Amino acid sequence: MLPLTEDLAKDWLREHGLPVPRGAAAASPAEAARIAGDMPDGAVVKALIPIGRRGKAGAVHLAANPDECRAAAAGLLGTSVNGHAVRRVYVEERIAIRDEHYLSLSLRGPQPEILITRGGGIDIEEVMRNRPERLVRAAIDPLRGLPAGNATKLLQRAGFDAALCPRLAELTVALYDAFCAADALLLEINPLAVTGSGSLMLVGAMMGVDEHALFRHAAWADVAAAVTPSRNPREHSVAVANREFPGGECQYVELAGDIGLLVGGGGAGLYQHDIMLELGGRPANHCVTPPTGTDNRKLKAVLAAILDNPQLKGLLVGFNFAQMARTDIRVCTLMELLEEKRIDTARLPVVIRLFGAGEQASRAMVAGYPNIHYVSRGTTLKEAVRLIVELTARASTKAVA
Amino acid sequence: MSILIDQATRVIVQGITGGQARFDTEWCIKYGTRIVAGVTPGKHGEMVHGVPVYDTMQSAVAQHPADASVLYVPAAQVKPAALEAIAAGVRLIVVTSEYVPLHDVVHIVAAARAAGVRLVGCNTNGIISPGKSKLGGVGGMDPAEIYPPGRIGVCSRSGGMTAEISLALREGGYGVSTSVAMGGDLVTGMSMAEYLMLFEADPDTDAVVIFGEPGTRNEQEVAELVRAGGVSKPVAALISGAFQEAYPAGMSFGHAAAAINTQDESASAKRRLLQAAGVHVAHALEDIPGMLGQALVAAGSVVRPDTPAPVI
Repeated sequence: MLPLTEDLAKDWLREHGLPVPRGAAAASPAEAARIAGDMPDGAVVKALIPIGRRGKAGAVHLAANPDECRAAAAGLLGTSVNGHAVRRVYVEERIAIRDEHYLSLSLRGPQPEILITRGGGIDIEEVMRNRPERLVRAAIDPLRGLPAGNATKLLQRAGFDAALCPRLAELTVALYDAFCAADALLLEINPLAVTGSGSLMLVGAMMGVDEHALFRHAAWADVAAAVTPSRNPREHSVAVANREFPGGECQYVELAGDIGLLVGGGGAGLYQHDIMLELGGRPANHCVTPPTGTDNRKLKAVLAAILDNPQLKGLLVGFNFAQMARTDIRVCTLMELLEEKRIDTARLPVVIRLFGAGEQASRAMVAGYPNIHYVSRGTTLKEAVRLIVELTARASTKAVA
Repeated sequence: MSILIDQATRVIVQGITGGQARFDTEWCIKYGTRIVAGVTPGKHGEMVHGVPVYDTMQSAVAQHPADASVLYVPAAQVKPAALEAIAAGVRLIVVTSEYVPLHDVVHIVAAARAAGVRLVGCNTNGIISPGKSKLGGVGGMDPAEIYPPGRIGVCSRSGGMTAEISLALREGGYGVSTSVAMGGDLVTGMSMAEYLMLFEADPDTDAVVIFGEPGTRNEQEVAELVRAGGVSKPVAALISGAFQEAYPAGMSFGHAAAAINTQDESASAKRRLLQAAGVHVAHALEDIPGMLGQALVAAGSVVRPDTPAPVI
């Protein structure tokens, strides 16, 4: 899920005719003050970062006038909140709130779900824990959508006043439409406010969208491009490669062990990791590599990260019997990187279990290299894992001796 | 018999002029799959490996009645293509495309269910009923080597692991009735329990092997089904990804769906549930044939393996 910043989420809702407070993003204290100049009832200044519960993190300030707004913005800009650098703030008009409610829409399974509570508002987690009877939860048929009649029934169940229900039902239906149109996986309105003058206002709005639907939402591509920096440089370089190069997704997660795992994206990778732990081996990483096409840059990025890990004492290149992918592209990439990084395989045991198309060429490429064990056809995934665990343990013992 | 497909199944390939579709179509035809037509908008009149191409599903089925369609269209085109296939009246749709937006997935899954159409995938490498037919890339250029025919059904959330399961079965002297990769995504056209019920009803399947992962409720539903007595045939399960439990919740290590969101979605919890329900839970692929052998003898259905163990 790609979390959108508040400005993008609220712009989207506004464009879909929904009532959200007036507001805009600012990159400097002066710009923030200028925006607040148009807000006679005062402004709220928030760090524009894609996380929830910013209030609790101290990233939300009230400003009675433009000068206070400038000061609040100056205090937030350039700081870091929960690891996110604050480069912009969101300046929004203050709303006089009479009642606070909660509404969320989510898509995590075969049907979208709606969750509503009357009252409560901000601390929804407390309500879920201690007063679950106040939650009204329902699945929405993706083919029928959310007809106004169904929305009204849900609101009645949640205990809303009869006088408020028609307007609130209309709003709920519009929210569901905006949710689907955005390819959102989560849309949380908290609080859904009734203002002092009795109108409805979406004061808090969090929206997370489907990365795989960005072809329909070009405006949000920049958000996706902003890779959250990882503290680990190897993880970061793979995240960058994942963004920059074409092909399926790649991932690299560094762990505390010493045996590098070059595996695919699916079941065999999970299986080998389980088996390695059971056999007493300690994986140095987990990874996801895309199926090999002609472009091997993502594979290369993952392999480089694995080989650059200073903890590395052994490497397993373990894949399920290749039905579609070519084995020689993987082996060729490995040999290129070993060469490039001047890694002496005499010091780094490598086990390769790659069967399928291109296997003959793959085997020829590693012939003559010491310590590269390309296991024979019929060797099971478990046997290959056992071999690298043993070879790594032996190499470590030798190094200590 | 087998489930989903056999030698009589007539297949249309949607997106047949793309690279992967051309490759798979060639090897499917060589394997014996009855591919009767292909569809790519704007490519009417072309031929791909002797298969005539049409602009729409409607015009393709008008000339070539079909039972199934297999989709190779880009993710953005999956929803309209699947809806077109449902409208054209095919009874089985296999979606190989990956990274399909979730809103589109839930829509086509619901639409297929409403029409009584079976949807396999998205993000599947296919189905194979060995010796009869295959849809998708499963088996690659040499399906016969990996998938000997036999009487064990296989259903896996990982396409790659269907090959490893089949090889392990083969080592133990067993073959496969049908192997289906159900797709590794969060929402799939059919659930694992639904495939299990198809295998239960298939007179030529004696036992079933499932491969599961963390995330989704597929394995829990299988446990419930088996516990409730809905499956009389032996079921063996390999559930991988227990290592994830050592790391923070919500961290994903593979398939998008294989992230643990609640405690009972973990691999260990699934293993416990399945075991308690009477499923034979294996820790390694090598254990599966022995487990099945004992269970099949106990069930009195088969006393000898299907095929002699070949060496590959």
